[in-house]
Amino acid sequence: MIQLKHLFKWYNVGGTRSFVLKDVSLDIAEGDFISIMGPSGSGKSTLLNIIGMLDEPDEGEYIFMDENVLEMKAKKRSQLYQSHIGYVFQAYHLLDELTVYENIETPLIYKDISSKERKAIVADMLDRFGIVGKKDLFPAQLSGGQQQIVGIARALAGSPKLLLADEPTGNLNSKQGEEIMELFKQLNDDGVTIIQVTHSEKNAEYGKRIVNMLDGQLK
Amino acid sequence: MIGNSLKIAWRNMAKNKLYSFIKIGGFAFGIAICILIVLYIKQETSYNKFYPAMDRIYRLVVQLPIEGKIERWVSLSAPVAPTLKAEIPSIEQTGRILPNPLFGAGSNQLSLNDNPQSFYDDGFVYVDQSILDMFPTPMVSGRLAHALDQPNTLVITKSKAEKYFKTDPIGQTIYLNNNRSKLYTITGVIEDIPQNSTLAGYSFFISLAGEPFYPGEQNQWLSNNYTVYIKLKPQVNIEQTEKEILRNYKEHYLPEYKKSGRKLNPVFEQVKINLQNALDIHLMSADIDDDKVSTLNRGDIRMVWTFATVALFILLIACINFINLSTANAATRAKEIGIRKTIGSTRALLIRQFLLEAICYSVLSLFVGLLLSCFLLPIFNNLANKSLTIPWTSLYFFPSLLVAIMFIGSLAGIYPALYLSRFKPIAALKNKTTGAKSSLFRNGLVIFQFATSIILIVSALVTNQQIRYILEKDLGFKKEQVIVLRGVGTLGNQIPSLKDELKSIPNVSSVSLGDFLPVPIDGAKRNGNPFWNEGRREIDMATQGQFWEIDQDYLATFGLQLTKGRNFDPTMATDSTAAIINQKLADDLGLKNPLGAKITNGNTWTVVGVVDNFIFESLKGKGFAGLCMVLRGYPSLLSIKVKPENLQETLNGINRVWNKFSPNQKINYSFLDEGFASLYQDVERTKNIFSCFAIVAIFVAALGLFGLATYVTQQRTKEIGVRKVLGASTLRLLKLLSGDFIKLVFVAMVIASPVAWWAMNQWLRDFNYKIDINWMYFILAGMGAILIALGTISYQTWKAIRTNPVDSLRDE
Repeated sequence: MIQLKHLFKWYNVGGTRSFVLKDVSLDIAEGDFISIMGPSGSGKSTLLNIIGMLDEPDEGEYIFMDENVLEMKAKKRSQLYQSHIGYVFQAYHLLDELTVYENIETPLIYKDISSKERKAIVADMLDRFGIVGKKDLFPAQLSGGQQQIVGIARALAGSPKLLLADEPTGNLNSKQGEEIMELFKQLNDDGVTIIQVTHSEKNAEYGKRIVNMLDGQLK
Repeated sequence: MIGNSLKIAWRNMAKNKLYSFIKIGGFAFGIAICILIVLYIKQETSYNKFYPAMDRIYRLVVQLPIEGKIERWVSLSAPVAPTLKAEIPSIEQTGRILPNPLFGAGSNQLSLNDNPQSFYDDGFVYVDQSILDMFPTPMVSGRLAHALDQPNTLVITKSKAEKYFKTDPIGQTIYLNNNRSKLYTITGVIEDIPQNSTLAGYSFFISLAGEPFYPGEQNQWLSNNYTVYIKLKPQVNIEQTEKEILRNYKEHYLPEYKKSGRKLNPVFEQVKINLQNALDIHLMSADIDDDKVSTLNRGDIRMVWTFATVALFILLIACINFINLSTANAATRAKEIGIRKTIGSTRALLIRQFLLEAICYSVLSLFVGLLLSCFLLPIFNNLANKSLTIPWTSLYFFPSLLVAIMFIGSLAGIYPALYLSRFKPIAALKNKTTGAKSSLFRNGLVIFQFATSIILIVSALVTNQQIRYILEKDLGFKKEQVIVLRGVGTLGNQIPSLKDELKSIPNVSSVSLGDFLPVPIDGAKRNGNPFWNEGRREIDMATQGQFWEIDQDYLATFGLQLTKGRNFDPTMATDSTAAIINQKLADDLGLKNPLGAKITNGNTWTVVGVVDNFIFESLKGKGFAGLCMVLRGYPSLLSIKVKPENLQETLNGINRVWNKFSPNQKINYSFLDEGFASLYQDVERTKNIFSCFAIVAIFVAALGLFGLATYVTQQRTKEIGVRKVLGASTLRLLKLLSGDFIKLVFVAMVIASPVAWWAMNQWLRDFNYKIDINWMYFILAGMGAILIALGTISYQTWKAIRTNPVDSLRDE
């Protein structure tokens, strides 16, 4: 599904290059569940963002479902992104001005899905994650765990093939974290490819494969 | 999508109430001012448009280059109109207006039928029937066609008819100024003349048909008192007609001139007669000096442009507020933008959202602005001397407003939309975007706002200074404590005893009879005569001057100083041909020893006295004019110089005397200095309008600065915390935070000063007597702007500085 070939990313700091990614190559098959681990600043989030098409490497090649992402036009890329990728953040990043329902609905609006269909999908998501009763609440009225569940529901609303999670349990207590991880495992069993970035050994164990990073390189 | 955007927009507004208030408030003010000014401009440009066939109706304007300047005037002689109609085939109709008070137009004492009671009223004018045909007003009763064909007929307006007559006024008669020998019969009642008509202000249209004002007057080519209108036949070449008219005019005028034996000024070779379209009369006649005699409600295209520019700039200031606040606010929107991008929004969709948001703001502002303009309209009407109304029922009103507001909203929204939607999602989520910290573009906009405000402040200061200068200017005579009684002419041969009795009232120092007051107030007369030294009439060019009829008390009443010779003495028989002239006329006639000199304007006068020059024309016009005063007159005005003590008692005394002499006529008096001030109402208005504009502009700009300062200090909270921990004093921090803004206002001052200087010099060019623009005005305006800016930002700055650094640094 994904092939990363010799990715480099750097910043110029006072004339010298400071590498964030250094010759990273990685293959990810459909249905995989990968945990990326490593200390702060090792480049895991950057790698995830590049996979998620939110960031670009300075050098290297990125093939997503047999298409070269870096040579794509912006419009095509955002189409690809809209239809295949869902993103979950450590800080949830829900839209504060929108209710739970509207948060889940927004990506569907961007995909130009009809309002009838949107209703059905959102209802399905609310039901699936057990948050029907919270649909009219605003993010500030929810606990962290609940917010993250909304975040995941929003990421999955567009039925992506690939779910990217940047420390999804980082702001949660261990019980909430476990629930989220169980949820991920179940999603993976349903066929969603998952790549998560995590600090926690325990959470990493949920993945089928663990990738370690240090100073911008895979170990 | 749109629903979602609207929802977000609404919730954002509700969340940031202060900023929404500033954005909408500023916008609304700008819009309200714009609505008012557009209404004003629409009204100013609507003159005569409602009359039919205006494309074929023209006014004759004579122009001649005099001393390097093109002088234009509209007064022509009585036979011009009938002659042109008879002799030039392309002219369908001609008509004349005679608005000159010398002939009884303007204000009069009016009596009805046999009732000796008389009422003061104004709006009298002599017209040809064809004028009523060219500018037709719907009839209330009577027939419009041929209403003024007969001599001594009169058409009045509906409101005057209602004021004076209980029954149908047609066929009833009036007479003026107690002159029962000349009765006018009312032949028609027309609707009131609309404010946006050339005839506005006139209510009594007296027929010009019939007897001349003096024998031979109707065939007198050399005496110019009539404004001439013509109606061309369809598809007539204007330039061709202008040439024909000029040729025709010269054909008649030159032989008459020659016959009079006077010497023709060679400049006359360059005379031109232009056709001024009726639609241009209102706005394109500011330079026509005698236009003010015939047009009571004058406009000026420069004023329209000034207003339009000011409206545009105030709107721009409001747009800039929106732009600045939206981009400074970027930090708080960054997260949302980041999230939206990560859940699949494209840049185009974001731009759409932000534009929609901007339009939401502007539409809301429109409603608030409309409301505001309703409240401000009476004030504006008062300021601009208009009676504008908001055309709620007009079909075009709301659609055109909506279209305009969409455009303005997009204009204000496009930059923030482009700016915000450009954010990289990851950077935006991590809050690493550049928000309120100084951006060149935003600084430029703030400078623009303050420069505009400073220009308006300087304008307000200069106009204010000029009007004060005018009102306090030493005119060479004393206009204070002079009471002018009107309508004295009705008393006939009782006038001398009235004068004597008034003189005997304590605290009355002198009483003078005469219509030629030194201040050209309503009812005061002016003329223009050619003068020569005796015997030089056929040799020298004529010297132009006023020819005033006064009495022996005139000099004392108005405090005029004789520099040579003596005052009139009615007991001396020879004084019936004596004249007192001013220094200017003596100079112009080259009189080294004027006393005893004989001068002529047709009649010959012996100079017995010379007065210092004094200003009896508008301060806007030319300098001193020549003046010859003689001892005679059949006046309607009486001027009373009183002492300042016990004014009320003196007035009571005057009242008593008046009622004794004239029980049928209500006393009608005014103060000369008030009349003088009212001559400069237009200047006063300009001053008031600029003051209001300046206040609105600086208010809206300050509103924006307040918002901006809030954001900037918010952004710098951490910096301030660090600095405080490092030991920075409050004063130092205050300087640090305010310094940036003050610099901007200072730059604005530097940019604004030359622009304001230029603009105000243009305005002052209209005045012959004017102030020098003092550099203090610029300093004052700049300091004012800086103070306002300081006051605006100090609250936010102060709050930021007072924050305990422990709090501001905690989130690390």
